[in-house]
Amino acid sequence: MSIVPKETIEVIAQSIGINNLSEDAALSLAPDVEYRMREVMQEAIKCMRHSKRTILTSDDVDAALNLRNVEPIYGFASGGPLQFKRAIGHRDLFYIDDKDVDFKDVIEAPLPKAPLDTSVVCHWLAIEGVQPAIPENAPLEVIAPPSDGKNSEQKDKLPVDIKLPVKHVLSRELQLYFDKITELTLRRSDSALFKEALVSLATDSGLHPLVPYFTCFIADEVACGLNDYKLLFALMRVVWSLLQNPHIHIEPYLHQLMPSVVTCLVAKRLGNRFADNHWELRDFTASLVASICKRFGHIYGSLQTRLTKTLLNALLDPKRSLTQHYGAIQGLAALGPNVVRLLVLPNLEPYLRVLEPEMLLEKQRNEMKRYEAWRVYGALLRAAGKCIYDRLKIFPPLPSPPAHAVWRDNRKIVTCSNKRKAGTEHLEQPPPKRLATDGPVDVVSTDLSPSHMPGEAITPAPSNDSNVGPSTSSAHMPNSNDLDRKVERGKGDHRSMKTSAILNQVWKDDLKSGHLVASLFELFGQGILSFIPAPEMSLFL
Amino acid sequence: MDEEQVVKFVETYLKKKGFKQAELAFQDEVQHNSNANSVDIHSDPDLSLLLLSLSQSEDTPARYNDEYSKLRSWTHSSLDLYKPELLRVLYPVFVHCYMDLVAKGHMQEARTFFNSFREDHEMMHLRDLQKLEGVLSPSHLEEMEFAHTLRQSKVNIKICQYSNELLMQYLRNTKSTMMLGIVNDHINFQVSPGQPSLISDDAEVVTLIGSSQDAANQINKKEIHWGLLEDSLEERLENAGALLSDSEKTEGEAKEGDLDETKRRSIEGGKQGASVKKLKKDKAASATAKVVRPETNTGSMAPRVKSELPLPVIPTEVEQSIVEDLRNRVQLSSASLPSASFYTFINTHNGLNCSSISHDGSLVAGGFSDSSLKVWDMAKLGQQSGNSVLQGENDTAPSEHVLGPNGVKRSYSLFQGHSGPVYSATFSPLGDFVLSSSADTTIRLWSTKLNANLVCYKGHNYPVWDVQFSPVGHYFASASHDRTARIWSMDRIQPLRIMAGHLSDVDCVQWHANCNYIATGSSDKTVRLWDVQSGECVRIFIGHRSMILSLAMSPDGRYMASADEDGTIMMWDLSSGRCVLPLMGHNSCVWTLAFSCEGSMLASGSADCTVKLWDVTTSAKVTMTEESKSGSANRLRSLKTLPTKSTPVYTLRFSRRNLLFAAGVLSKSV
Repeated sequence: MSIVPKETIEVIAQSIGINNLSEDAALSLAPDVEYRMREVMQEAIKCMRHSKRTILTSDDVDAALNLRNVEPIYGFASGGPLQFKRAIGHRDLFYIDDKDVDFKDVIEAPLPKAPLDTSVVCHWLAIEGVQPAIPENAPLEVIAPPSDGKNSEQKDKLPVDIKLPVKHVLSRELQLYFDKITELTLRRSDSALFKEALVSLATDSGLHPLVPYFTCFIADEVACGLNDYKLLFALMRVVWSLLQNPHIHIEPYLHQLMPSVVTCLVAKRLGNRFADNHWELRDFTASLVASICKRFGHIYGSLQTRLTKTLLNALLDPKRSLTQHYGAIQGLAALGPNVVRLLVLPNLEPYLRVLEPEMLLEKQRNEMKRYEAWRVYGALLRAAGKCIYDRLKIFPPLPSPPAHAVWRDNRKIVTCSNKRKAGTEHLEQPPPKRLATDGPVDVVSTDLSPSHMPGEAITPAPSNDSNVGPSTSSAHMPNSNDLDRKVERGKGDHRSMKTSAILNQVWKDDLKSGHLVASLFELFGQGILSFIPAPEMSLFL
Repeated sequence: MDEEQVVKFVETYLKKKGFKQAELAFQDEVQHNSNANSVDIHSDPDLSLLLLSLSQSEDTPARYNDEYSKLRSWTHSSLDLYKPELLRVLYPVFVHCYMDLVAKGHMQEARTFFNSFREDHEMMHLRDLQKLEGVLSPSHLEEMEFAHTLRQSKVNIKICQYSNELLMQYLRNTKSTMMLGIVNDHINFQVSPGQPSLISDDAEVVTLIGSSQDAANQINKKEIHWGLLEDSLEERLENAGALLSDSEKTEGEAKEGDLDETKRRSIEGGKQGASVKKLKKDKAASATAKVVRPETNTGSMAPRVKSELPLPVIPTEVEQSIVEDLRNRVQLSSASLPSASFYTFINTHNGLNCSSISHDGSLVAGGFSDSSLKVWDMAKLGQQSGNSVLQGENDTAPSEHVLGPNGVKRSYSLFQGHSGPVYSATFSPLGDFVLSSSADTTIRLWSTKLNANLVCYKGHNYPVWDVQFSPVGHYFASASHDRTARIWSMDRIQPLRIMAGHLSDVDCVQWHANCNYIATGSSDKTVRLWDVQSGECVRIFIGHRSMILSLAMSPDGRYMASADEDGTIMMWDLSSGRCVLPLMGHNSCVWTLAFSCEGSMLASGSADCTVKLWDVTTSAKVTMTEESKSGSANRLRSLKTLPTKSTPVYTLRFSRRNLLFAAGVLSKSV
């Protein structure tokens, strides 16, 4: 009934010497005690307010009792917190532990330090509304966040409403559009309509509200559709289109998109059918990654570093499959020649050592595996070649227009031939390779590389200082010769010839990194030397 | 209903009420002339219903609970359009049910009833509920002011016709006579035809106050003259400005030669007893050489009134300095915020109860719980840092107060004389006097020049919570726990007027700019405006949800701001008695409010360790109804929040030049 139990009343009664308080009396006293208590607290709170405090002290209670003409309760000075102890044998009875104090101790104790006297200090809280950053003011970082919050509260009319977890409302049209696009992506990605859809995705201005849904959709579908090559390619095309759209602010969703994209680049298996040209998908994705890096690399500093790290890990892990290596190489190559030079070339030697046995017929019986190895090798060469080409461009005399054109042409040819290789030459190719790699791998390399070394790496060293022109032009000549032959044959392999020539050029020109380069050339030379007989063989064919 | 039944009812009624004699007599009568009963009950269904209810009410407590919960669920399932109105009825019914139960002695049932339904009303009436919770016996009902007034008065509820019909129909059909009784006894429906009113319109309706709403409305109809005083310095200055602009057109600025002469004349004029017209001209002339002050319309728009009090004469030198200040005043707006100087009290050992800053900011007073009043002279504080050359000048001031009893040099003058905590202090406009009020029920007047106590004003019977000097000095007002506010003049030890009417402590008091009115804020959650001359209450402002802690009057006399324990600040239009708009933002007690001198800005200082600046120029133009339509735009009014370093703000004051002074105690908590 009352929050004061009658037991309490009885205890109080006993404490003031009334031992035989009847139960009825206690019961009827209890509500009154509660009422009086509330009354005192109400007055005490008034006193607290008028002392401009927000914490009630025992002084306030004393003042309240004083107001009611009641003797204040002594012994509750608000020095420290009161220690209540539970009375033994009673559950709800507490008492205050009073320590015994010896008079002697009190008298003999040294005088306590006099408290400091009250004083007033003055400072500027604000100067024309701006708070100066002085130690007397609240620290700035404390000011900043709340004031930000308050400012937004003050400036926006309904800031709270905006911050509320409002349900994202999509218009009916957008929903239909989204449904249509997803349906096309999932089912009919080879229809002409899908192409139209991609164009629409890349150009329409009102699609921003759909971006989170698209990112989710892509992430979900990639996660569960790794076996569906067509779907993956369609999805990557959607990503590409979204990236192209100038009206879409896609940055906030990149972190959701990137994992799916990288998956399409370096996944072990993409598509479950033999005919699925996952190489093409990987190439496409690599260019996608590169474009993302180019566009957002400066906004997200960590984007490229994280990406390259992922790719490099994929490349250098020998346990990963060759398809993964291929994707990684393509990705790295797409990121630019500098990335290749810094990350791929140093690892070239050990990697090739791992790769070589895979390419050999006698070591690798599985044709598929061998083919994959060759694919990787081709990608590596291309990456290295691009890198070299870029290096060459640094030297002013070299990047003459023909070289440019030639290289471009060549690349196209290479991709064409690669595609063809995948289809038609699939069976035809291994024999020449086999022949090529038959014996010379060890023999020729040991024989020829030393002979090359003095010729290419040592002689240019002095010549480069005095006359760069002749050396580069002389190097250019065989280059074009090579090229002629290559065009004749229409074979991707000859690119290696050219690259090797350019490569030589670079190593020659690069004086600063003399020794390192020399050794690198040697390494790469081995790979290339193994290729040298190939044109002859094809000629023979 | 036949006779027998009636007899039975009457019998049970008498039995229940314990009228044994009457019962016996009744039985006799029934036996003797059973046919003589002539009360025509048949034609009066209400009466029979009443009788029925009276005879049935053996198990009353349960019925209260029953009927209330039925009413509650009915209300909650009523039509959306009428629900808000009907819900409003629930609270008074709830409160009176509870008190009825208590009054009839069903403590246990009352408590269970209270606890089972209190959640419904906690949001709106938490504080009232906390008070009522303590009522546990019939005697408490009599004793407790709040409960008593609730029982005595009727609650007014605006309700539309249809809602009223709905309610009455429901109550009749369900035969909830208990509820019907309560509704009839304690609620006064103001039935209005047409659509139900908006909820936002009548926030005040739900506040149960002692005096009825009618009375408040009646009071608020009285006429008040909120205009500024005629012939105030500011008005003179403004006229001067207007004249100046005229004269500028014709004469340009070629008046400098006359400057000395006019100044001299103005001083002479002042000495001669201030023939106003002459003075005005002089001011106009002297003002030409000064910086041209941008004109403000606020002051000139305000109507002028005559003072009803005989006003003290201001010395001419002082007048001059004030005019100088006014001329150099910074114009504040949302674009140009004021500079704020903060006086931090340190080492107060939790003992500082109040502080006050003089009009020019040079003196700071602190009232302490150890009954002392300390006054710091900030000008001297700066010199103390070792400038001994100026010490000679300081010697003119009595040095025994600066030097403590042990010869230890103190930075302040200590005023001792009170015998209880000092709750308030106020400087006279010129800074030569300080008044302090204390828990010892007295108000003391101190001279800052002599550093001595001059007068002790005894009149209140309980602690004096607040004391305020009038804007012209000489008069002051006090507010006390004895539920009165009093007006005093410095030269009399008895109060001139006693303002009685608040239902609880009067917590704060503030003078109107024209000195004809004072406003008081109380723990009964109302603010009242009193006519100083007649001592009558001329306005009641209802709307706060908790105890009023501070008040401020706008310099143009039109608006008043009040702040409460919860951190809500309300702006009131004095002439209409309506709330202009609430300013939300503080989350703890607002200890102090101050208007800037031209009234465009309100500063509030709070226990949440912030000073907030509010733009009140725009708010003045928007009434509350428009406000509610335009959404919660009051957030826009907050211009700036100035956080302090864990220092609750006790006092704010704008100097005449619109420099903001603030004072507070550095608290170690947090």
